[in-house]
Amino acid sequence: MAETGTNRAEKTLSLIDCDIHSQNLGGMDLAPYLPDHLRELRGTSTPGSLWSNPHGVTRRDVAPKEGESAYEALCRQHFDEFGIDYGILNRGPLSLGVAADTEHAVALARAHNDELIDNWLDRDDRFLGSMLIAPQDPERAAAEIRRVGDHPRIVQVLFSSASGLGVPYGRRLFWPIYEAAAAHGLPVAVHPGTEGRGTARPPTGAGYPSRYIEWHTTLPANYIGHVTSLLTEGVFTEYPDLTFVCVEGGLAWVPHLMWRLDKNWKSLRVQTPWLERPPSEYLREHVRFTTQPLPEPDNPEHLRQLLEMMHADETVMFSSDFPHWDNDSPTFGIPPLPEELHRAITVENAQQLYGLPDDPAELG
Amino acid sequence: MSDRTPHVVCPARELPPGERRLVEIDGRSIGVFNVDGEYYALTNVCPHQRAPLCAGTLTGTTRATSVDDIEWERDGRVLTCPWHGWEFDVTTGETVFNPHRWSVSTYETDVIVNAEAVAAGEAQPAIETHPVDIDDGVVVVYV
Ligand code: FES
Repeated sequence: MAETGTNRAEKTLSLIDCDIHSQNLGGMDLAPYLPDHLRELRGTSTPGSLWSNPHGVTRRDVAPKEGESAYEALCRQHFDEFGIDYGILNRGPLSLGVAADTEHAVALARAHNDELIDNWLDRDDRFLGSMLIAPQDPERAAAEIRRVGDHPRIVQVLFSSASGLGVPYGRRLFWPIYEAAAAHGLPVAVHPGTEGRGTARPPTGAGYPSRYIEWHTTLPANYIGHVTSLLTEGVFTEYPDLTFVCVEGGLAWVPHLMWRLDKNWKSLRVQTPWLERPPSEYLREHVRFTTQPLPEPDNPEHLRQLLEMMHADETVMFSSDFPHWDNDSPTFGIPPLPEELHRAITVENAQQLYGLPDDPAELG
Repeated sequence: MSDRTPHVVCPARELPPGERRLVEIDGRSIGVFNVDGEYYALTNVCPHQRAPLCAGTLTGTTRATSVDDIEWERDGRVLTCPWHGWEFDVTTGETVFNPHRWSVSTYETDVIVNAEAVAAGEAQPAIETHPVDIDDGVVVVYV
């Protein structure tokens, strides 16, 4: 559908941001979009966190100014400030994915998607949207993908990186989600924040951490579990057009996973005969990783080495996580990189994955 | 007291303890803080990812000699960056976590009364736009 030629892109697009949380500036009210009885009985609240950040989760300097709308504050401080051509709005409430009340979770996801379409996606050519689903109810999640997945500015299916069902996302019970997403040409993405909340298990197998610093640092362990599950269960051999996007899950663990899994595959392939090639090859084709929070090793050369090890020219896409406390600046959050690699990370990988035209107005 | 030029920030009574003022001087954004009656000024750019540092929260910080011995200290003089929360001691410009490597520029400040301000030359026009009592002072920052 869309022009993805990199030669044209070089002349036009300069930055695609794959993780923006517009709802933290306000301006998202889901209550009117809920069925009457759920609005009355349940409202919009979802399972809360056990770990508090001393600085809060939203940056202290981003609240809209007097008389300014959330939309205006978002453009002023982010899209205009940094010249962002496309930004994916990844909005909550993600923790609907670990809610015990599945009815409520499914309704909230629908409400979110309707509000996104009504109030945001047509408002600005630069806006792209992730539709939310309730992954703990895969059949109805798939139905929701079929309901709104064809909107031209919905580019991705998003859910909580914490599984509320106690098993990782490669398991067959989740496959209706992947089948529907693949049929609609949508990548599926997970985003952290819900680890250890609601019906999710402890954030890692080690058990419950005490503080936010421990919780946040170990989030990638959960991602390792999901990606390994997706690769070994055969999701990508079953759905060869599917891409799984690890948003905000870290990067430095990826070489470990590729090398260990390939080594084990040589010995243990007999358990997973559907994997006809080293698992890392499926990862390079089917899994993508967003940058923020980018590692900041004392020696920046180590970051460049890491990016090379994980084939970042194919697998990594820029994200800011604006306006969260750990967001990366589009200008100062990435150290100098070789030009081609910088271009792949900031534009080309995302443009290709999401099928984005060089002219945002063409998207419809 | 300084070979730099004094710039008027505001009348002292408009900057009570715990408060701050942002001023723009020669294209530089500078935050001026009143901490318990003393004035401190630092650059409004965080050395990490260049966030507007002086929009952060002014608070205290923790120090521990062991996990059972924790003290809340420097109350009211630790500025946390509004982005990633790095902590800066306003009185020195140094980060709490690593004072030798990461810090921000600080500037000398002073409170001067009108007569001195007039003598200080450049401060004069600004003082006229911020009239003060003769017993009162104006906060100046040397840049
Ligand atoms: S920009 Fe100030 S702590 Fe990161």
